[in-house]
Amino acid sequence: MVNSSITRREFIGATAAAGAGLMLAPGAKVFGQTKSANGKLNVALIGFGAEGRVLMESLLVIPGIQVVAIVDIWPYARTYGQRYLKAMGHEVKAYENYQDLLAGEKDLQAVVVATPDFWHAPITNACLKAGLHVYCEKMMSNTIEGARSMVQTMRQTGKLLQIGHQRRSNPRYIFALNHVIHGGKLCGRLTAVNGQWNRAVSEDLGWPKHSEMTPAQLAKYGYKDMHQFRNWRWYKGMGGGPLSDLGAHQIDVFNWWLGRPAESVMAGGGLDYYKPPQFAKRDWYDNAMVIYEYPMPLGVVRAFYQVQTTTSAGGGYYEYFMGDDGALKMSEDPRITALYREARAPSWDEWVRKNYIRAAAAPPAPADAEKVDVRETAQLAKYDMNVSFNEYIHQPHLENFFNAIRGQAKLTCPGDEAFRSEYVIHKANEAIPAQKRIAITSQEVEA
Amino acid sequence: MKNVFVLAVLFAVATASAEDMVPLKTKLPPPLFVGTPVPINVPNLEPPQHGKRPDFMVPKGTVNLALNKKVTSSDSEPIVGTLDLITDGDKDGDEGSWVELGPGKQWVQIDLGKEADIYAVIVWHYHSQARVYRDVVVQISDDPKFEKGVTTIFNNDYANELGLGAGKDLAYIETYQGKLMDAKGAKGRYVRLYSKGNTTNKLNHYIEVEVWGKPAS
Repeated sequence: MVNSSITRREFIGATAAAGAGLMLAPGAKVFGQTKSANGKLNVALIGFGAEGRVLMESLLVIPGIQVVAIVDIWPYARTYGQRYLKAMGHEVKAYENYQDLLAGEKDLQAVVVATPDFWHAPITNACLKAGLHVYCEKMMSNTIEGARSMVQTMRQTGKLLQIGHQRRSNPRYIFALNHVIHGGKLCGRLTAVNGQWNRAVSEDLGWPKHSEMTPAQLAKYGYKDMHQFRNWRWYKGMGGGPLSDLGAHQIDVFNWWLGRPAESVMAGGGLDYYKPPQFAKRDWYDNAMVIYEYPMPLGVVRAFYQVQTTTSAGGGYYEYFMGDDGALKMSEDPRITALYREARAPSWDEWVRKNYIRAAAAPPAPADAEKVDVRETAQLAKYDMNVSFNEYIHQPHLENFFNAIRGQAKLTCPGDEAFRSEYVIHKANEAIPAQKRIAITSQEVEA
Repeated sequence: MKNVFVLAVLFAVATASAEDMVPLKTKLPPPLFVGTPVPINVPNLEPPQHGKRPDFMVPKGTVNLALNKKVTSSDSEPIVGTLDLITDGDKDGDEGSWVELGPGKQWVQIDLGKEADIYAVIVWHYHSQARVYRDVVVQISDDPKFEKGVTTIFNNDYANELGLGAGKDLAYIETYQGKLMDAKGAKGRYVRLYSKGNTTNKLNHYIEVEVWGKPAS
């Protein structure tokens, strides 16, 4: 929900005007061809794991959408999904794999793909070629080649491919970009960006012993054993580790808000904590610190990103855009979000009067105020944005996808736009073992 | 002189009572966090707990009376999992450790076998994701139908959605530490726990429920 003068319609307009890289749906050509017999968009969810279940919550509350099938290779998840949807009032078919889905469903318009990353490209390509529109979770693929093939298939088929960087459809993010960063230029000239997502130590995922898949079932889909199946994110050839699992969302915001991909990356990181015998053997780094450089018209912006899986310290997960007039600490969590004004900045009263921002309550004066070091810059004045959002965080992104299918919106994160972001994320993973600055040309980020 | 004597007696009683009280010691599961965090916006939400829960004192000899006891429910056919998971001693947040009940108002009920003095109930609904369960009500009674002799020890159903009466307890975010509810020595054989969905979906989940007490004297 959006406050007072800022309406949902304005956000849809803002989304449509968000600039380069947005892709128009093929309008009437798509609309009509893709309408189901029941007048709704018939959708299948491929992958009923943790991601898929979160997406399902949104699918169930979006008008005009009929979930008709779920797909999962794990019988436990398949049965669970079918029973779950029945409890929610939906009778759906359940399939083991996408080939069976495509063979069995003849009135399907779109699929939502939420499988492990290494299955994204084969499933997306097959579904696009079968005439379906595809919403695929990020990362597009565990390889650059896989991601590129998805964009090429999108272009060849003319079908829509939305990638699940859901912040691109989040009304709070769109408001912040259009009104705080661009419209009001409240941060002035952006000079630095700092993002992070830190999580405390976590055990490997388990599974109900009575619901194990057989070695043959696992091998059929590329898994060595149940542990690898449940913890695929940690293994090369399957996922991209924490930089791609967590960092992808935020590094995508770096590129989106700065209006271009990075031109270089250097990084440090390693697999330093999760080691046998305390933990099962893993492949991917458990910590990473990355620096990107963005050449902007007024000078280079450097963006630091860190992901830690051994500590939740550092104030949660956010993307912090810093300029000479102010700074915006942006997060999907409104409690973490804050806007700060430098003392030198022009007055923000106009933006307060326009109801875009409001002054935050002043923090209590420190008890030992007399000890404040006078060499420090004065504390920044804090403001809040006058925008709120109380839906499921993936809902607007899925709605954007479905509205694009209907010819009523542009995709906010089409495959080719997502590719530019994901390319530089893959490059960060390469930069860690390379131990050197890697240049990224404007040509190579194009699929 | 008389006042001094009364004070001395009160001090002696208080000292004896304090010596008979010990911290409740439950074994906590490992923290687990999966997926994208969901911003939580619910009314009457207590601030997130930082660090370990403060010690909760119970009479010496207090044990978890619910372990391996029979559980019944308003939903006799859970969507996933089985009711015995609620009292099996496994508090892990992972797949296979929780039971999922249908949408809307649901309850589970633990039969302790005989009447007990109950000092605390600890509930783990679901802790692999930060979420809030709505309209949590916990009651104790000797009546398996909960029609008479009901003691409510926790109620955060501030809008009386369940029809059991409005409560003033705060909503809370699930964590691996579970939620400890002070039962204040209430007597009863049955413990019933209600909820009505959560901030992620309309369903109801239980990983484990512990009922800390002593058989009634």
